[in-house]
Amino acid sequence: MQLPTKMSDIGRTQEFKNVPCPFCGLLCDDLRIAMTHDAATVVANGCARSRALFATNAHDNATPLVDGKPAALATAIGRAAGILRAARQPLLMSAGTDVAGMRVLIEIAERCGGIVDHANGEALFRNLRVLQNTGWISTTLTEVRNRADLLVVAGSDVTGRFPRFFERCFGEFDTLFRIGARELWFLGDVPADLPTTLRFRSESLPVDPARLAEFFSALRVLFAGRALKEKTVAGVPVGKLSELLERMRAARYGVLTWAAADLAFPHADLAIQSMCEFVKALNSENRFCVLPLGGNDADLTAQQVTTWQTGFPVRVNFHSGAPTHDSRRDSARHAIEQSEVDAMVFVSALDAARTPPVGEIPSIVLGRAGTRADGCSVFIPVSVPGLHHTGHLYRADNVVPIHLRKIAASDLPSAAQALQRILDAMKEPH
Amino acid sequence: MIRLSGGRIYDPAHRDNGEVRDLFLHDGHIAPIPPPGIAIDREYDVSGRVVMAGAIDMHTHIGGGKVNIARAMLPEDHRDSAFARTDITRSGSGVAAPSTFATGYRYAEMGYTACFEPAVLPVNARQAHMEMGDTPIVDKGGYAMLGNDDFLLRLMAAGADQKLINDYVAWTLHATQCIAIKVVNPGGISAFKFNARHLDVDEPHPHYSVTPRAILATLTRALHELSIPHPLHVHASNLGVPGNAASTLATMEAADGLPIHLTHIQFHSYGTEGERKFSSEAASIADAIDRHPNVSADVGQIMFGQTVTASGDTMAQHRNARHAHPDKWLCMDIECDAGCGVVPFRYRDGNFVNALQWAIGLELFLRVKDPWRVFLTTDHPNGAPFTSYPHLIRLLMDRGFRNERLARIHPDAAAHSQLASLEREYSLYEIAIMTRAGPARSLGLADRGHLDIGAAADITVYRDDPDREKMFRTPEYVFKDGELVAREGRIVKVVRGATHVVRPDFDRGIEQRLQDYFERYHTIRFDNFPISADELVECGSRETLVHACARPPR
Repeated sequence: MQLPTKMSDIGRTQEFKNVPCPFCGLLCDDLRIAMTHDAATVVANGCARSRALFATNAHDNATPLVDGKPAALATAIGRAAGILRAARQPLLMSAGTDVAGMRVLIEIAERCGGIVDHANGEALFRNLRVLQNTGWISTTLTEVRNRADLLVVAGSDVTGRFPRFFERCFGEFDTLFRIGARELWFLGDVPADLPTTLRFRSESLPVDPARLAEFFSALRVLFAGRALKEKTVAGVPVGKLSELLERMRAARYGVLTWAAADLAFPHADLAIQSMCEFVKALNSENRFCVLPLGGNDADLTAQQVTTWQTGFPVRVNFHSGAPTHDSRRDSARHAIEQSEVDAMVFVSALDAARTPPVGEIPSIVLGRAGTRADGCSVFIPVSVPGLHHTGHLYRADNVVPIHLRKIAASDLPSAAQALQRILDAMKEPH
Repeated sequence: MIRLSGGRIYDPAHRDNGEVRDLFLHDGHIAPIPPPGIAIDREYDVSGRVVMAGAIDMHTHIGGGKVNIARAMLPEDHRDSAFARTDITRSGSGVAAPSTFATGYRYAEMGYTACFEPAVLPVNARQAHMEMGDTPIVDKGGYAMLGNDDFLLRLMAAGADQKLINDYVAWTLHATQCIAIKVVNPGGISAFKFNARHLDVDEPHPHYSVTPRAILATLTRALHELSIPHPLHVHASNLGVPGNAASTLATMEAADGLPIHLTHIQFHSYGTEGERKFSSEAASIADAIDRHPNVSADVGQIMFGQTVTASGDTMAQHRNARHAHPDKWLCMDIECDAGCGVVPFRYRDGNFVNALQWAIGLELFLRVKDPWRVFLTTDHPNGAPFTSYPHLIRLLMDRGFRNERLARIHPDAAAHSQLASLEREYSLYEIAIMTRAGPARSLGLADRGHLDIGAAADITVYRDDPDREKMFRTPEYVFKDGELVAREGRIVKVVRGATHVVRPDFDRGIEQRLQDYFERYHTIRFDNFPISADELVECGSRETLVHACARPPR
């Protein structure tokens, strides 16, 4: 076992400092964790989610299952390989695996003509369609922490998805540059758990998220110096729009953020595009950036690895041998609904609460111990990256990969190891 | 033991200019002539063939965040070029922004055995190494970017001792597992975050007040004092701006006689003459390189067609975004470390500016007298995809072909260029210098880029075809570490390349200061920032080859 840095022995409890947390896209890497036997306790710098997911008892449902019955790992591997060998076009889906797991998942897809997607694929493509059509000007967490004097949150529950976002990126702490009083605008609800100091400098406009495209198109019109005939836009008085516009123009370093997963309405990509084009326009005068937040369930990790290995950002189809990509046709949901796939691999090593989509097809689930695996053909419990083994995940801003630590032992294989064994078994003569 | 018999050896490091001799390969290296009785396991008759060391691309954007953004942004670059797996190779796609597997195979098929990613953001170094780990066959290495990071700019603004800066530079090389240091638009990426849209060599940074000249002087000195083989790798100020030749000359002077490498110098050799206020300064830039023995350069030749530009220079990329083709682009400020900008681009021979850029690049190649100080690059993919190298080599070696191509470009650009009058044709020996021996020497790769006994058996064998494009497109044999990996332009075996690094000595006292900085300002903890040797293996590196910190012979 690789020795963790800065480990101190207190009786039989080992304490680890600066441990990265893999359980949301922020990948906070300042946690202090006490390990007693197999039990991990977050003792500092955690959040409710990290405390719960580090502490989950590793012994629940930690036996491989074949057709619902306990089986040896080798048996489960053999059965999984058999299903994939027989499949015409399987779906290979991540709901939480690291770079190493994605590498093997893609190789399996390539070998058996499968489709690769992530469980959050729909949210990923709300942003990706904009990247593929017009692009954006964006920033990352440390820049926000040190520079941003204005943050606009569009229709997203930032703290619900990224509990420590304000604590770590937009609050009261030392910054490299003098910022003055930070200002915060919510287009939508103010989160209930917003720190008091921020709450009292925050402003909220009741915009229906589904009308964000309209809202930002109107801002662009005002920015171009033209008048609007309407008195209200997306339910907001034009006077308030003008006020927000003036704040955005006056910012020294403004940031507009959203979590695409929260923009769950038809054609949300057009709302995002409208935001990105407005922010591009602002940069003719001052500096303003977007911050598309993601990374939960290792969705950005799946996107990154698939992109560098295949040239396409998930929703890759190997049916003809060469990778092809159609963000609608090759979505997991479409493939299942249209019966275009005849088997499924579902990998979820981070959170046992993630469950595979229900379908008629044989499914192979590689899940964190405790995952509900009713009705699946093969269940293989796997160890947790960042707890039981090292690995890499991508952070919310899609630039920074974090190296996860091993702080506890596990008898279970990692998702990458289990997938590699399935791949090896697929190659064996049979 | 493998024997390559009867080949004509072009090994400029040892002044072999087509001498006929046999090469023996054993255990991944070039071996002495074996004593009688030693069995030759495999003999390749390469009589009449041109034999060179494996080629080295010392400036090619093959891995890291901005390359992957370019891939994700451009499905149209991948749709028509996708290929399936075979029994030995993986699938892939892409021309301007190829997938990692495609990158490794296409390079190896062309006889390249080592590639260096020149823009590794320290905070994104893991990604660069993971992508390079998935780039098969070729060796890799990275250049870590400094000079826009707030840690260095703060040190300089506070008047820190050079020794402290040297320690920081050395720590960065260790932490990022890189072989060299690059600066992109010194201070300019940071200045853009403060809403500056230009930063000339002697212009003070809007916040720190340090000048690009001071950054260049400090970093060139740091690398010199640390005895890092490769000089400071400089993407100069004012990329693409008409009249930028003046700041390029100022950049050379900023090194104050210490070694400095100016990269993709084609993009930095522009004047403002003529009715379009855009002209070639290739002659003055080439003359300055000739006069400054401390200066080396790579060209960053452009080729006509679709590509994508991916750069750390947000200031320049934001300025050039209006030329995006197709019309989409991305810029990003990154982690108080640097930035990146991705702008797809289509260079057209009928466009005056693009046509003149093409001519300027070729002029630079042909005017710089010393081939040891000018390297063959297209700044892949910024000037053109690396797969255009064979065409570029023919342009350099074949004046008739060159002038025929010149006749096709925008007539005003052709008229403004002196390219037609340049008679020089590169020899095979000179091509071997600028694609092998020169880059290896500049990077301090003692056992690459030449064919002496003990060198790595990275070898490329070409048929001597008068059509140099055809010759360099499809080598007959390519050996990597003594194994035949490509034959007639097809991959026959997939191996994994090594990672080249330097690890200079430094005073670990700098780490306390860095730790304080990370704790106060960063969103990553200091403990989690450096990449260890073990982690590099996890990223996918076969092994690290650590090169000595000693100045290469000039």
